Amino acid sequence: MTPTVTSHRSGQHAGRDGFLQVLHAEWTKFRTVRGWPTGMVAAVLLLLLFAVLTGISSDQNGSPPVPIGPGGEPVTDSFYFVHQPLSGNGSITVSVSALESSIPRGPGDLRPGTVPWAKAGLIIKQSTRQGSPYAAIMVTGGRGVRMQDAYVNDRPGPPGPVSAESPRRLRLDRSGDTITGYASADGAHWKTVGTARVGGLGQTAQVGLFVASPPAVEGMGTAGSVSTAVFEGLRFQEGWAGGTWTGDQVGPESPSFAGYPEDTSGSVTGSDGRLTVTGAGDIAPANRETLPTGGTLRDILTGTFAALIAVIVVGALFITTEYRGTMIRLTLAASPGRSRVLAAKAIVLWAVTFIAGLLGTAVATPLGERLAQDNGVYLFPVSSPAELRVAVGTAALLATASVLALSAGAVFRHGAAAVTAVLLAIVLPYVLTAVPFMPASAANWLARVTPGAAFAVQQTLVEYDQVAGHYTPYYGYYPLAPWAGFAVLAAYAVVSMSAAAVLLGRRDA
Amino acid sequence: MSAPGIVVAGLRKRYGSALALDGMSFSVRPGAVTGLIGPNGAGKSTTMRVILGLDSVDEGTALIGGKPYRSLRCPLNHVGSLLDASALHPGRSGRHHLLWLAHSQGLDARRVQQVIEQVGLASAARRKAGGYSLGMRQRLGIAAALLGDPPTIMLDEPFNGMDPDGIVWMRGFLRSLAAEGRAVLVSSHLMSEVQDTADRLVVVGRGKAIADAAVADLIAAASGNRVAVRTTAGTHAMRVLAQAGATVAATSRDTITVSELPPDRIVALLSEGAVPFSEVSAHRATLEDVYLDLTREAVEFRATSTEVTR
Amino acid sequence: MRLALHAEWTKLRTVAGPLWLLLGTIATTVALSAGATSLVNCTADGCGGDTTRLTLMGVYLGQAPVAILALLMISGEYSSGMIRTTLTAVPRRVTALAAKAVALTGAVTAGGTAAVLGAVLAGRLMLPDVGDRALSLSNGPALRAVFGTVLYLILIGLLSLGVATAVRDSATSIGVVLGLLYIVPIVAQTISDPEWQRLLEKTAPMSSGLAIQATTDLGNLPISPWAGLAVTAGWATATLAAGGLLLRTRDA
Repeated sequence: MTPTVTSHRSGQHAGRDGFLQVLHAEWTKFRTVRGWPTGMVAAVLLLLLFAVLTGISSDQNGSPPVPIGPGGEPVTDSFYFVHQPLSGNGSITVSVSALESSIPRGPGDLRPGTVPWAKAGLIIKQSTRQGSPYAAIMVTGGRGVRMQDAYVNDRPGPPGPVSAESPRRLRLDRSGDTITGYASADGAHWKTVGTARVGGLGQTAQVGLFVASPPAVEGMGTAGSVSTAVFEGLRFQEGWAGGTWTGDQVGPESPSFAGYPEDTSGSVTGSDGRLTVTGAGDIAPANRETLPTGGTLRDILTGTFAALIAVIVVGALFITTEYRGTMIRLTLAASPGRSRVLAAKAIVLWAVTFIAGLLGTAVATPLGERLAQDNGVYLFPVSSPAELRVAVGTAALLATASVLALSAGAVFRHGAAAVTAVLLAIVLPYVLTAVPFMPASAANWLARVTPGAAFAVQQTLVEYDQVAGHYTPYYGYYPLAPWAGFAVLAAYAVVSMSAAAVLLGRRDA
Repeated sequence: MSAPGIVVAGLRKRYGSALALDGMSFSVRPGAVTGLIGPNGAGKSTTMRVILGLDSVDEGTALIGGKPYRSLRCPLNHVGSLLDASALHPGRSGRHHLLWLAHSQGLDARRVQQVIEQVGLASAARRKAGGYSLGMRQRLGIAAALLGDPPTIMLDEPFNGMDPDGIVWMRGFLRSLAAEGRAVLVSSHLMSEVQDTADRLVVVGRGKAIADAAVADLIAAASGNRVAVRTTAGTHAMRVLAQAGATVAATSRDTITVSELPPDRIVALLSEGAVPFSEVSAHRATLEDVYLDLTREAVEFRATSTEVTR
Repeated sequence: MRLALHAEWTKLRTVAGPLWLLLGTIATTVALSAGATSLVNCTADGCGGDTTRLTLMGVYLGQAPVAILALLMISGEYSSGMIRTTLTAVPRRVTALAAKAVALTGAVTAGGTAAVLGAVLAGRLMLPDVGDRALSLSNGPALRAVFGTVLYLILIGLLSLGVATAVRDSATSIGVVLGLLYIVPIVAQTISDPEWQRLLEKTAPMSSGLAIQATTDLGNLPISPWAGLAVTAGWATATLAAGGLLLRTRDA
């Protein structure tokens, strides 16, 4: 640029003001075609509509409350508990010589099966109330010995299964609030598996044996299972002395417990020397499958998919209509810097869509939450920063998708092709993950490499290694971190915009 | 078959609050080129769409050979039309565009080849229509209109985008179509385009026909036997001529316009009265004047206080 | 009608778009089917599910080019203004639309059959023979699934044609069509009430229509195969009727 511009508009600097003028022109174009602002309003309304529909579509009033763990998260706390109250400090030891699980194959057709997270072992728990604090050491169906506490903490011990030939000895010590778990293969050499500080146990806690058997993951669904363990050599040490054992099912009626398979129930049989305990359920954080009635923020924002269509159509039309009427020639004649025109369009579109999206999520989220709670629906807890991230992220997702559609429109110069390409790239992965047969690995791969990865911004669920489940986008578990998923979409948009800028500069208008 | 050509009677159509057609009536006769003339927005294109059954009307009828368009079987054999020459699939060749039209009327590829040659498009017919110039598109549109060898031809602004050669060709072509006995209706918003071509003119404004007459009659009517006299003694001349029974008006500082007296009589009178004058000429109106006169009140979008009909 | 049909067929075959879109249908259908089939772990007991449905899964993607082909038949004419030429040549508008529908049906039948047979062939080559006789076309349910999938593609085409006739703009039409096809199943996933979920699966054009592909566990389907396809046919009929009505009453 020459420092002195001697044109009839010499009062203006051509550089920066030039781009602002292009920006202003594109904004004027956007707001004066009635269909485009209408599309944005439609996107907002779709977000609201689906929030209302999701809010009212489920009525959970009257169902039992969801058990909540010490950390405020929903938990499964349903298992068979052979227990007695014990005061003060002490130690309990037992040998587990068998843990076998069964899975129903049909009504009344129970067959042996593998349940990796079937659990049998020792537990100290504040009470039989669901959600109360505890610490436990256990053998599992496929994950060796584990020490767990507070539902979410899990430490591995010696691996390998148990059998009559190689039983596993377990020991749990209480010293005030400190619980220590040990494991041993021979009863002589003990290995510390873990130490947990458990607040709120009280002077007298329930101590004893437990068996839990979470649903087994099978294909696209899960099947309830039941497990039976054999305990031998149960004895107390260091201050505790044996009393009367009580066998109880903890949490028999709970939204996070699907119950026993048909014709089975929890039980304890045998004498002090050898106890056979049968149980079902789990002591663990609840996930989307163990708590199917639970709602998430993502459910409330289901309208994102519908709103996506509206903003993608507007984004594509924002440029393809110019090609149709050869108005692009006029546009490019008015401001010959072609990539600047494209950039101005992208900025206007992104900003408008982002504001519309933010407006939609800001209203839809509290509205949907309120309606769902009024209907007794439990919502998986979300921290305020996470809630803000979902709202902002969803708005950014919509805005970036519309810019992707804009660039696709510039590349294809055809509205229908641009809409189809962008919509399928973002939405099809979610359609495919819902298809039976789709292995979790394939679904997660799709949610990592396609622009649909951006839906990770709506992630509010936590994945737990110690709970088997389908951790796939279908259930609301995304393989990428929220903003990393968004970055995938943003990268697609940047690449596509660059391609569009190159083509726009090279092709004849 | 009754009433050959096109008969439009009392068309009325409203778009929201705007009245597009307000009693449009005229007819198009065989063997002549009829020009449909009027300013932009006067209702020319709407009328043509109504004739073709594309737009509906609130009132009135438009008949082709006595029948409404939508009741015609193989309508392109009755009337050929060109509304928008750019209404093409850019990826289809001109020849294939004509081919599907031919198939819709039960015609075959031979007829397509004939019309292509007739409009002089043979060299470009196999190219994609997206690459055609506006003039080539117009020729392709004319070819489509001729496809069914119809007795009636209707073209909306056929001169648009044509180069001078094309305009000359188009004029001759339209004349030859009329000479074959066809009824030809051509719309334009420019008088100069049709004044050498049309036999009859329908002048439209504000959704109705404000004149429907032969070109010669229109000119004669507008000229009104007026004579212009250039003189430095205007007042004197006016008195002399008025006494002789003429209607006289001062047109400018040194010109007066005289009606109802032939030029030779005026020269005699002025000479008798010793009135100095430098020129006496018969005033002959052009079609342009006629058009401007007729449409002056009818131009809708002029900045006047006149309210558009609600 | 015969002449109008001839004209529409000429239109279809004289531009490159429809052919490419049909090839796109074949390519995407076979590719997605083959990809899905490659993910299955088969044991001697079989492949743990409905392999026929799996090998036909490609239509999830293959229906998109069919929808574009269908809606461009009419919205393409609206964007260029050629619809006026079409309606000038065939002033009976319902006839014009019907001719388009029939020509489309012919094109999709050809392309859809090739796509579906290609997918079946790919599935046969990739799946082991063990315990899997379902893919044989002499098997009644499998034949129904294959034949029904072609019908499904035709119905999706007709549905798109109807939507495009009503909406006119191609980008908006494809948005509406893809929304109807893909968004409803996603919404159904997130609705926790099982009755609503089943209702959506029974009434949405894609999930109901693709019930025609089921060959196992027929008792547990939300809707039976032929009834499901009938629902999709209902959607196609309704949108075509709405499109036809608007075409008749609107100014072109």
